Amino acid sequence: MEAAVEAARQGTFFSRNEFLIRRLHSLTGLIPVGAYMCIHLLTNASTLGGPEMFQKNVDLIHSLGPALPIVEWTFIFLPLIFHAVVGVVIIRSGNANLSSYYYVGNVRYTLQRVTAWIALLFIAYHVFHMHGWFHNAWWLENVANNELGGHQFDPHKASSTAAIALASPLKKLFYGIGVISCVYHLANGLWTMGITWGVWTTAAAQRRANWICGAFGIALTVVGLAALVGVTTTDVDKAEAYEKVRHEMNLEEQQRAEAEAKRLKSLSPAEREAEAKAQAEKEAKAAETKAH
Amino acid sequence: MIQANSHDDSAHGSHDHGEHHAPPAQFAVRVLRQDAPGAPSYWERHTITRENDMNVISVLQRIAAQSETADGDKTTPVAWDCNCLEEVCGACTMLVNGKTRQACSALVDKLLAENPEEIELRPMSKFPVVRDLMVNRSRLFRALQKVQAWIPVDGYYDMGSGPRVSPANQEQAYPLSECMSCGCCLEACPQFTKIELKKQEGETDEAFKAREQAAFDRGFVGAHAISQVMLFNNHPTGAMNAPARLEALMAEGGIQDCGNAQNCVAVCPKKIPLTTSIGRAGRATTVHAIKKFFDR
Ligand code: HEM
Ligand code: SF4
Ligand code: SF4
Ligand code: FES
Repeated sequence: MEAAVEAARQGTFFSRNEFLIRRLHSLTGLIPVGAYMCIHLLTNASTLGGPEMFQKNVDLIHSLGPALPIVEWTFIFLPLIFHAVVGVVIIRSGNANLSSYYYVGNVRYTLQRVTAWIALLFIAYHVFHMHGWFHNAWWLENVANNELGGHQFDPHKASSTAAIALASPLKKLFYGIGVISCVYHLANGLWTMGITWGVWTTAAAQRRANWICGAFGIALTVVGLAALVGVTTTDVDKAEAYEKVRHEMNLEEQQRAEAEAKRLKSLSPAEREAEAKAQAEKEAKAAETKAH
Repeated sequence: MIQANSHDDSAHGSHDHGEHHAPPAQFAVRVLRQDAPGAPSYWERHTITRENDMNVISVLQRIAAQSETADGDKTTPVAWDCNCLEEVCGACTMLVNGKTRQACSALVDKLLAENPEEIELRPMSKFPVVRDLMVNRSRLFRALQKVQAWIPVDGYYDMGSGPRVSPANQEQAYPLSECMSCGCCLEACPQFTKIELKKQEGETDEAFKAREQAAFDRGFVGAHAISQVMLFNNHPTGAMNAPARLEALMAEGGIQDCGNAQNCVAVCPKKIPLTTSIGRAGRATTVHAIKKFFDR
């Protein structure tokens, strides 16, 4: 009996460090996960600026080269996994009671949990859909790529592959719901964070903060959905043509690429087709001479 | 009465109050009963004749006097707790029409205006039921013990008068001091979940209590205790023990379990600014944690 009481007093690792873990959970929601999400949505919105702009932004990220996976894991995946795992524990520790107490704060509390589940589902699908989860050649080719429709995004063909991946209206709808849920979760989370850490304490201060977090949420929703408009309006052929040139050039040729982009933009579809044909022939010839 | 009538039942029949009928002569009361701790609960219906100025306590008194259910079966009186009968002791807290509140200040005519058919009474759902509408709220008081919600000034000699308390400080403290430990804030809190242990075969009362308190200490302390920490930490004498109270708030089941649903502040019958206390306690524990880290 004494032992049972003693064991209850001792608790588990989670219970002994509950305060620290909960504060870390709160922090990781904003930094780095929330901050990353803002950058990510802003980058995606640049699809609106055409394939040149989006490709430039994607290249900038990929200029990290071999350091990219390390950066991704330390600043995105590990904090996100930590936040999600602890988040699930937190959700299970509570007991939603919206039907008895239908108050604004309680609706928001419940939505924070509902959007958490949607975010979990959406992010898991999204990372699979675009990247196939693991950058392992065998996995990508045999599992992710073919049968399940994953790994659709190619950073060298950013605009065109993104547009093709999201061509289906159903996928766009799912992405729209996912993005709005994540944004709500972040904006409302920002507000609750302010109470958790003691930034806004009085009712009046919390109301003021609510306006700011609300405005932030609306702005980020617009940015997030802008990316969906961006991929919808992307002309895949033009984007592919541009991306091809862009991919083959090196940094010294940057300026020439800019000019080429302008030129391609001004081409009519017929001219473009002719050019693509000539290009293909040229390539075939080059391959032939190489083979000899 | 005449004045009220001239307001409600005047020419505008289609007004909001158009469907506001005279209170019924009789009404039904549905009570969720339970004969013993851990026993299954069951519903029992009663029919009560309406009288002027009834509250839920007087309804329960009528039920005891009638000792008969709506179907005419003999029954025992429904057990409930009450004391002050003026909403200052918190003892009579129960779920009236699904909402946590004090039975003594729940007026029958108002309840019938919301639902003329029936009044539903249930015991609080977050505390172990002793019998019928009586619950054991010892966890609520254990939480106050855990966070040391008092100022230790007892001693063998006169310590003289304490420091002066500024009017601004008094103004902040007074609302927090109104807490009557009713438990409404805990009942409505989605993060506060029921802890009910069963006494084991051959377990002494002391052993059971120790086991129960250990379990309570691991559960969420609740908004009332967080608010009391702010009350005593902001008092110039109480501030001497502020770090110990903050430590208690940062232990398992502490302030970190709050999910900011803000139901507590919405249901508190004393309108205590609980979420302000939670924000202030959040700030105090943040500062305390940083201090502790660098002062170690
Ligand atoms: C897009 C990714 C996500 C972002 C940007 C994000 C951000 C945040 C932020 C800023 C908070 C506020 C923390 C606080 O109130 O102190 C929060 C809270 C929360 N998050 Fe996330 N989160 C994300 C994904 C997830 C996922 C996948 C889950 C779990 C399935 C989750 C579960 C939770 C829970 C349960 C809370 C409430 C914590 C509490 O009330 O103490 N989140 N999140
Ligand atoms: S604000 Fe915290 S203490 Fe109050 S009801 Fe919500 S979770 Fe419970
Ligand atoms: S804070 Fe309010 S609701 Fe909670 S116990 Fe005190 S008086 Fe009751
Ligand atoms: S009897 Fe004291 S509050 Fe109802």
